[in-house]
Amino acid sequence: MEKKYGVYICKGCGIAGAIDIEKLAKAAKSGAIKEENIKTHDIMCSPGGIQMVKDDMKGGVNTIIIAACSPRVKYEEFDFPGAVTERVNIREFVAWTQPPMTDETQSVAEDYVIMGIAKAQRAELPEPAVLENLSRDILVIGGGITGMTAALDAAKAGYKVILVEKELQLGGFANKLYKKIPTRDFKEPLIVDTEVEKIIKEVESNPNIKVYKSSKVEKTKGQPGLYEVTISTNGSSETVKIGAIVLAAGWIPYDASKLGYLGYGVSKNVVTNIEFEELAKKGKGKIFRPSDGKEAKKVAFIQCAGQRNPDYLPYCSSMCCATSLKQARYVRQNADALAMIFYIDIRTPGRLESFYREAQNDPGIMLTKADVTGVSDAGNGNLFVEMENSLLGEKAKVEADLVVLATGMVPATRAPQEYLDGLTQAATKGDDAKKAYIESTPKPEFILNLDYRQGPEIPSLEGAYGFADSNFICFQYETRRTGVYAAGCVRQPMNMTEAQEDAAGAAFKAIQCIDHVARGVAVHPRAWDLTFPDPQLIRCTACKRCTEECPFGAIEEDEKGIPTYMLSRCRRCGTCMGACPERIVSFKDYSVDIIGSMIKSVDVPEEEFRIIALVCENDAYPALDTLALHRKSIDPSIRFIPLRCLGGMNLVWIADAFSKGIDGFLLLGCKFGENYQCHFIKGSELANYRFSKVGETLDRLQLESERVTMMQVAIDEYHKLPEMINQFVERVKEIGHNPFKEF
Amino acid sequence: MAQETIASPDLKFVNDVIKGGGESLKKCYQCATCSVVCNLTPDSTPFPRKEMLYAQWGLKDKLFPNPDIWLCHQCSDCTAYCPRGAKPGEVLNAVRKMSIEHYSVPSFLGRAVGSRQYLVLLLAIPAAIFLIILASLGHLSNVPRTGGGQISYHEFLPSLYIDSVFVPVALFAVICLAIGVSRYWKDMVRASGLRPSQGGIANLISATIYEILSHKRFEKCNVTKERKISHFLVFYSFIGLAITTAWAVAYLYGPSIMKFLGLKPFSWMLGPSPYPLTDPLKWLANASALALLTGITLVVVYRYRNKEKSGLGGYYDWLFILVVYSIAATGILAELFRLADIAILAYPVYFIHLVVVFFLFAYAPFSKMAHMVYRATAMVFAKHIQREP
Amino acid sequence: MAENKKVLVIGGGMSGLTAAIEVAEAGYEAYIVERNPYLGGRVAQVNKYFWKLCPPNCGLEIQFKRLKNNPLIKFYTLAEVEEIKGEEGNFDINIRLNPRYVNDKCVGCDACAQACPSYRDNTFNFGLNKTKAAYLPAPQAFPFQYVIDEKACSKDCMKPCFDACKYDAIDLNMKPESVKLNVGAVVLATGWDPYDMTKLDILGSGKIKNAVSNMMMERLAAPDGPTQGKIVRPSDGKEVKNIAFVQCAGSRDENHLPYCSYICCLASLKHALYVREQYADSKVQIFYIDIRTPGLYEHRFYWKVKEDPNVTLTKGKVAQITEDPGTKDVTVVVEDVYGGSKTKATFDMVVLATGMDPTTKTSKVGTNIPYTPDGLVDDAALKKGIYAVGTLKSPADVARSVQDATGIAIKCIQSLNRR
Repeated sequence: MEKKYGVYICKGCGIAGAIDIEKLAKAAKSGAIKEENIKTHDIMCSPGGIQMVKDDMKGGVNTIIIAACSPRVKYEEFDFPGAVTERVNIREFVAWTQPPMTDETQSVAEDYVIMGIAKAQRAELPEPAVLENLSRDILVIGGGITGMTAALDAAKAGYKVILVEKELQLGGFANKLYKKIPTRDFKEPLIVDTEVEKIIKEVESNPNIKVYKSSKVEKTKGQPGLYEVTISTNGSSETVKIGAIVLAAGWIPYDASKLGYLGYGVSKNVVTNIEFEELAKKGKGKIFRPSDGKEAKKVAFIQCAGQRNPDYLPYCSSMCCATSLKQARYVRQNADALAMIFYIDIRTPGRLESFYREAQNDPGIMLTKADVTGVSDAGNGNLFVEMENSLLGEKAKVEADLVVLATGMVPATRAPQEYLDGLTQAATKGDDAKKAYIESTPKPEFILNLDYRQGPEIPSLEGAYGFADSNFICFQYETRRTGVYAAGCVRQPMNMTEAQEDAAGAAFKAIQCIDHVARGVAVHPRAWDLTFPDPQLIRCTACKRCTEECPFGAIEEDEKGIPTYMLSRCRRCGTCMGACPERIVSFKDYSVDIIGSMIKSVDVPEEEFRIIALVCENDAYPALDTLALHRKSIDPSIRFIPLRCLGGMNLVWIADAFSKGIDGFLLLGCKFGENYQCHFIKGSELANYRFSKVGETLDRLQLESERVTMMQVAIDEYHKLPEMINQFVERVKEIGHNPFKEF
Repeated sequence: MAQETIASPDLKFVNDVIKGGGESLKKCYQCATCSVVCNLTPDSTPFPRKEMLYAQWGLKDKLFPNPDIWLCHQCSDCTAYCPRGAKPGEVLNAVRKMSIEHYSVPSFLGRAVGSRQYLVLLLAIPAAIFLIILASLGHLSNVPRTGGGQISYHEFLPSLYIDSVFVPVALFAVICLAIGVSRYWKDMVRASGLRPSQGGIANLISATIYEILSHKRFEKCNVTKERKISHFLVFYSFIGLAITTAWAVAYLYGPSIMKFLGLKPFSWMLGPSPYPLTDPLKWLANASALALLTGITLVVVYRYRNKEKSGLGGYYDWLFILVVYSIAATGILAELFRLADIAILAYPVYFIHLVVVFFLFAYAPFSKMAHMVYRATAMVFAKHIQREP
Repeated sequence: MAENKKVLVIGGGMSGLTAAIEVAEAGYEAYIVERNPYLGGRVAQVNKYFWKLCPPNCGLEIQFKRLKNNPLIKFYTLAEVEEIKGEEGNFDINIRLNPRYVNDKCVGCDACAQACPSYRDNTFNFGLNKTKAAYLPAPQAFPFQYVIDEKACSKDCMKPCFDACKYDAIDLNMKPESVKLNVGAVVLATGWDPYDMTKLDILGSGKIKNAVSNMMMERLAAPDGPTQGKIVRPSDGKEVKNIAFVQCAGSRDENHLPYCSYICCLASLKHALYVREQYADSKVQIFYIDIRTPGLYEHRFYWKVKEDPNVTLTKGKVAQITEDPGTKDVTVVVEDVYGGSKTKATFDMVVLATGMDPTTKTSKVGTNIPYTPDGLVDDAALKKGIYAVGTLKSPADVARSVQDATGIAIKCIQSLNRR
């Protein structure tokens, strides 16, 4: 399609007061852009301005450059369907941050307009890549409360579900429970039936749900919409087509045998909270202690057993306090029995506080804050619970005839993750170490068995101890494996009610993913993006950088090492584009060439300094806008170019920039490392890593490595930005001009 | 290192506290608001938070031999601000009752006074005694009058008989109380680890008495400030009535004693009742009676007024209130009916009066009446161990 | 009736945004009704999130970007729902739009504010400072559009604002409008109000200047807040070197909020970090009943604060707060449950960890709201097709609100696809 350009320069918001608009218009003129294509307007966003553009479109203009305010504002006004539209931010980046009517200010504005034109010349309208014969079915792994809820919710929303449970029957831990905590009003007797049978029946009788019991996922091949999942049911296996996956594999109880100091394994009458449920269920509410079958009359509950403790589980399983209060009520079904709860803090957040209040309001339930130091024998099967800093006394002990340890939950994903992390560790030490590891380490059961180059499970998250949690507070389902949504206790420690809410959320995201795949749109966070990476594989050297660096494992490779892009796994961050030394990965409106040409189009006068800054679109760019809003000034030698993610930063741009005479190169990205804030996982970290490699490029050019730097900046740190930037500019100025300017 | 407590929870005790008026006991979650809003507690190991925990676990050994439960005057500031709707004031009140039961002898009387089902029996005892006396005098059928033909309770039931009942009863009460209190004191000494022989408490006692007479502690209450007035009235009217009684004894036995000593009786010694309303003894008697009636009425009024913030109280409290009430009421009515010369009402009312007075004295060591002695003792002990200034 | 694919979301905070954006990204139309002149709700007022200490604006930026790029979402600010009639699949909605006096021609040039002669309490900063009566409602406000506070700006004050605007964006004759919608499902996401400090009599009844609420603390620490992020005390701007946190200020209290407000422990721990980062020599004391940092918060966040030797955690609830009339220092009285004594301590500033009160109590939603005995929205008793989300049902942090809002999205499409 032949491009017909329209350049529109706004004079409002003080732009005309800061920039010589006529001069700017002249500067915009070039081979492709004729004088008549360049127009100005007092208020471009006003109905008049918009109309002007629309009229030109009727006249055939299909490539629009709007030189006005930030693309973050007036997005409705400057929305021109069917045309390539490039917004040039001369309000925030020039008029509001540069001194009015100086030559420098003028050149900043002209550079931005020319850069915008350069981009518009190369950008094209996206056409979505819609994959063929997609599946809309949802696979739910795990038939516990979470899995069943997810299955039912998806089915009720009109989707077919395949539910895979490893046990003989559905229900998971709910099957073991004698009673549960009421979900709504906390009225006597405060313990109600789990009704798990009801849910199981509902699942098994739902025509939209197909249940595989005593089954596991042997292999998950392909990508969202096109998964081929092999399910093995004792021996025989079957392959089904799946759209998206809900991971509800649940949890296993913490290994209490590590808790000898609390008497577990030493005395039969020390049991875990799960074992206690089983006792209660077996005795139909009566508690007969294991050692001698005597009915327990004095039951001690030790909270945080092997939890909130770096030597065991560092985290809090968040359900144990309410659970022990509930179990205390079991004990109290016998009027002359008593239950004692020893806690560090009672944790019944939110509405559960009322459950705590009601459960405690029973003469035979006694609580005290205490640090339990041990459990010792008190003769004839009884035990002493020994404690310090208790409210009963600085040092105290209490006799009980049964002790219940409130042990915590370990996510089913932990063992596989630890094994795989170990494997990666070993691999870094060479193939022999890797081999040794594989031989020496027992291989745990995998859950997803993804047939991905980057590994079979969801990658672990620092500090999450195996939980398949999201790294983002605002986005609980922002998964590290597109199309796979974790829910329930595999994601975070939670109680049954929370798990059911979570199941609904995950099921919804699975549905949404299927829908987006069908429309050829990316999923969160670029959930509107129709573009996709389109590599010219003929020029691929099979260096495998893209396949290694893709944060979402979206790129596989064939036996020759040539990458195959799994588009519905892709999140459109452009990390592959930044990784590729051959510069062959391009999006319709985002490519090495586009950014490169924007950099090259910056005018570099001999006597001036010029610095290129690549900025993260989500954090640094808005921070710059806000800084402009506060009318803070920015050094005129800098030209900002937004990137989808710094992971897209390609080293060739630095070479281009310096060989053109640019004096410095700056990256503004988000925080990385633990608690990273990059929504493409390690974009800024990767950019930083590539920067560390930039040394040789610079050496080749005989340039100082301080000419390039990377800064981590959060969206709210705009007030620090001018300082940070100016320091860098000063440093570059100290170093002096880039010698390549002369050529 | 602190020595190790071996805590043995006692479910029965917990249930007793709850039955005894501490229904809210189990609501406490140890936030310690109560100890902060309480103006009566000392700053070190303040009450009532820790007492609430001990009571929840039924640790009576930590509760009874401890002056704190008595230092609490049930202002109910704690109750008003408790975030969980627990009522520490009431709980401690129940514990105090149990502590009286615990220390007083004979213990069965303690239990009897504390529980409804024995009420009739406890009343029956004095009723029977007085009926027997009256019957033996034949005064149940016809009652002699004075020379002047007025109603005379002295004629109805001569003081000699009354005193021969009340003197031993009073002695019994005093002895029981003495034993109970000394057990309490010993126990506190043991628990606090003091050596028993520690003299120099005379001045502590006087200080305590001054504190009681002045009602200083009641002033520190916020929620139930007005309780000072009612308690003040009841307290001082009792003293007034005590004086009256002594005075009457002088009137009654004075002449004969002086004769016996070969002296001429003073003219003001009027001998047996009734006495003219113009007589100062009558002034004091009637004034005190009215004060008592007003005081005890206010007690009831305030209890209802603050029932939200501090609760109404249990059987134990109300038994005491009713006894005092009926003493005041029957006392005044008896006098009025006598003056109005309505024999048919006067004698029965007087009879009831005697019964309730008996009830008050005889059961004092076990009823709420005992609180004044136990609390006083606790206050002395608190000063003794420097817990209180 | 044609199949109704529309969802109404009442409340434009993190929960509401999530619910609306999620359903829209699944192909359904979503309408957001927000009572404030901006979207983002409480989250927009928060300086940093626990546990990551990342800026909420980052998440909001993404939400707004999703919203801007999705034609299926429409939102109304300064709006309230007057009436919800009908049943699941067919609700008739009546919305009242309150006048903003600034139309969408506004370019955010600030001229009106500069010209405006009168001032108003900055509600976004809980009255810690003032703004002009013509103002940008929030530092990173979305929509990026000014608003005029008619109560603060009498007509003779509006004139100069009007004259100052070059973009005829100011419309002094704006009247309340009403919008009618028909939707298939309704999401209540009005969120929470901080519990009213004036009700906490023993904690100073909100009259003690240097006893601020935890939400005020967020603004005091925020770079775009009233003090540009410098934590100083309101009475005299003195640096806060010695600060106390009073947990459960109104929460877990039958006289106020019977339930636990979930976020307060974590918020105070976070605030402790704010202070510790800003002043190396500062001392922090947190008075608590139970420290509630459930799940991974325990080691990821609680420990980090606990390990700081300048942070003291004391078990015991503060039940008395007084102010020194001279120095304006604040004294708290508490029983140190372990120290075994009733102690008084004096601080430069005290933060009351006030809790969450469902906003349905203060703002119109056009339908009767059933409440649980402890004063939270009883979602199970709501009319079919109407869903409550996030903190309305039970106090929650942002993560759980977002999680719940996403879960509610599937309930909505179930409502829309039923029958």
